[in-house]
Amino acid sequence: MLLDYDRLGWLKVALLGFTALVAAFLLLPVVFIVLLSFGSSRWLAFPPPGWTLKWYEELFADPSWIEAALTSARIATMTAILAVAIGLLASFALVRAQFRGREILRGLLLTPMVLPVVVFAIAIYAFFLKLGLGGTTIGFVVAHTVLALPFAIIPIATALEGFDKSVEDAAIVCGASPIQAKLRITLPSIRIGIFSAAIFSFLASWDEVVVAIFMASPTLQTLPVKIWGSLRSDLTPVIAAASSLLVALTLALMVVTALLRRKLQT
Amino acid sequence: MKLIFASVVAGLMATTVAKADEMVFTSWGGTTQEAQTKSWAEPFTASSGIKVLQDGPTDYGKLKAMVDGKNVTWDVVDVEMDFAIKAAKDGLLEPIDFAVVPKADLDPRFSNENAVGSFYYSFVLAWNKGAVSGEPASWADMFDTKKFPGKRTFYKWSAPGVIEIALLADGVPADKLYPLDLDRAFKKLDTIKSDIVWWGGGAESQQLIASGEAAFGQLWNGRVFALEKDGADVGVSWNQNLTAADVLVVPKGAKNKDAAMKFLATATSPTGQAKFAEASGYAPINTKAKAEMAADVVKGLPDAHVDGQINLDMNYWAEHRDEIAKRWYAWQAK
Amino acid sequence: MSVEAQQGIATPRIPAGLGGLLPALILIGLFFVVPVLALLLRSVTDPAPGLQNYAALLGDGTYARVFFNTFLVAAVVTIVTVLVAFPVAWMLAIMPPALASIMFGIIILSMWTNLLTRTYAWMVLLQRTGVINRALVSAGIIDQPLPLINNLTGVTIGMVYIMLPFMILPLVGTLRAIDPMTLRAAALCGASPLAAFRRILLPLSLPGIAAGGLMVFVMSLGYFVTPALLGGTSNMMLAEMIAQMIQSLLNWGLGSAAAFILLIVTMSLYALQLRLVGSKRSTGAA
Repeated sequence: MLLDYDRLGWLKVALLGFTALVAAFLLLPVVFIVLLSFGSSRWLAFPPPGWTLKWYEELFADPSWIEAALTSARIATMTAILAVAIGLLASFALVRAQFRGREILRGLLLTPMVLPVVVFAIAIYAFFLKLGLGGTTIGFVVAHTVLALPFAIIPIATALEGFDKSVEDAAIVCGASPIQAKLRITLPSIRIGIFSAAIFSFLASWDEVVVAIFMASPTLQTLPVKIWGSLRSDLTPVIAAASSLLVALTLALMVVTALLRRKLQT
Repeated sequence: MKLIFASVVAGLMATTVAKADEMVFTSWGGTTQEAQTKSWAEPFTASSGIKVLQDGPTDYGKLKAMVDGKNVTWDVVDVEMDFAIKAAKDGLLEPIDFAVVPKADLDPRFSNENAVGSFYYSFVLAWNKGAVSGEPASWADMFDTKKFPGKRTFYKWSAPGVIEIALLADGVPADKLYPLDLDRAFKKLDTIKSDIVWWGGGAESQQLIASGEAAFGQLWNGRVFALEKDGADVGVSWNQNLTAADVLVVPKGAKNKDAAMKFLATATSPTGQAKFAEASGYAPINTKAKAEMAADVVKGLPDAHVDGQINLDMNYWAEHRDEIAKRWYAWQAK
Repeated sequence: MSVEAQQGIATPRIPAGLGGLLPALILIGLFFVVPVLALLLRSVTDPAPGLQNYAALLGDGTYARVFFNTFLVAAVVTIVTVLVAFPVAWMLAIMPPALASIMFGIIILSMWTNLLTRTYAWMVLLQRTGVINRALVSAGIIDQPLPLINNLTGVTIGMVYIMLPFMILPLVGTLRAIDPMTLRAAALCGASPLAAFRRILLPLSLPGIAAGGLMVFVMSLGYFVTPALLGGTSNMMLAEMIAQMIQSLLNWGLGSAAAFILLIVTMSLYALQLRLVGSKRSTGAA
């Protein structure tokens, strides 16, 4: 009864109300940033003394912001793909295979999340210098994938653990190959886990600043690095404008996806 | 046979020449680096044909790692002066080639064997006019919570500035500041500790004062300059202003050392310094630069406020960096 | 026997399915363990061979305080995040899909703005002269602005904000996998909602809580951007201190020693968590 939406009674109202509050909490800074990007004051003052589009003009006039955003997106996408692929394979092994030292291995695979990032940054940078991978996109993606891997493994493994394997086994008994069974039964069932893994890995790379500083080169400047530099010297709502554009982009993407899905279903 | 030999040599030399056509300049990013690019890198490329690639932000860990790893990708780096002194001690820097970089007109306060000045600045006392009644005049006023109530903001990191301010406010004469009496400074700071809001970066300091979140504080003069230019209602006192500097260094093992030295000559030239100072509000480290600057800009420089100006002792800080840092963070964590 | 074995598919002598771990092991082994060990070695060789760095860290009150403070903040953030995330995840697990998509959209949108920008926004929102305080004062709810920033409150708000999605999403997955029949059966047998919650729903959602909690706790330990901007100096976190040692003081021996201590303590907590919650309930079991 607790998991039946229509039979919760007063609990439903309470939970819904709380969820709405949390939604407002989550949206507050985002709305704030969008509003600030149109404010005429350089300082993050609210309410702003006036409204203007000049920060957006500045943003579009400066190609380095757009370049930085594209670089970040490129690296984050590659990181997410790699991390989810490696994480998926690893999760199956960690959840299904029985062997000694499984816990230790799992702990090992999670250590990139535990070690202070700056230590990893220096270590991987020095290592890449020897290999000649410093300042290369491949090096950047590898370094970020290491950081993202725990974020991919945890959601996928959790989802996989909650999945009832007998359905997959039934498919095999009915004639599917193990791979087919996994592709058509298991993966769709754990799709929230895979989705979370992809999002977390992407964001782990997208927002990452410390390793990014070390991996940076004149041609490889990511958005967080650029923002970091800007914040040190001068506060400017151009950053708010850049963030708002990304929010608008994401919203547009989500709306389009939702509409497409509805069309495909009718 | 001769032809083949000649073309091979030409091919090899072509590669070498191509490499010498570039160098990498690294600074802290944001508007400061943009101003440095406009004032130094672009004229340099125009006159020498050497391309200047921009990298950043400056990261001391990365600098050490690349020198240690003998794979140095930065040719000229903008660093804080007390770091430069320490880095030189640690063997991380190339000596400056003063045959290429004219030394004569450089402000001796801000250059040494391994570093030439990039720009210098002062810590000044700034306040939000709406949040403060009356005008604070000296650092001692920052510690007077009765006359000037409200939050104060100071620089968060262990660096030259705050400790000297506390000592000056406690009555230590400017020429007796060093060696620093840390106990006395921390005792003085304890009297206002609960009213302090710390700033970690230039943008934060501006935000705090502009919003009135902090009534007044110790700020870099360049940041106050930006606030005033933007019409924010701030007041500033240059009394007892404390100078500090950023310097340009060449990491040991830099791949384009010759180009780097030539770049330094342009950056420290009177014209280069004048242009940068006008764009940034920071002060030139070339004594002849003022002649090339507009009069009203010169008025706003630390140079115009040498009365009561105090030079923070970078050498002292480089010597005692570690122990001061330890005491500083211990005090902050209390 | 596994289904594959029953079908007569040859199973190699290594346990089945281990091959999947290979790419992960190569990645972590080559690009994490090797470089990091090289650096951590400096903790006992830099500036001179010996354990002085560790002695300095463990004997000094400041470092102990920073360690303690870091774990305290991480614990507080994790607990608050779990408490806030659970009701939301519960709703998301059973809501009609249309409403759920909107909420998911909001969650993802909140993660999309750059971390630094979001933290700055909180700075402006939480300041004494910030939006929240001004709104509360003009509404007459309080007459003095609340200290919402430069203290543990500010850090907690800022970090819970960032961590919520990491807790909500895994938890939704776990909750959705619970069969509603179990709870209906409990109701039929006369269990009160509270009993059903305590004895069925909560235990069954533990894997999701543990997984999300682990991520949030560990991430909080390593964060320094948000605590640096929203916390006071007495809330200095370990990550910031280590960054100072490595990047400002260039004392790699001390920095790596501190990092190593953090690593050991965290992995010990992880091992403890495994033993308590049971290895079946952590990030995977057959």
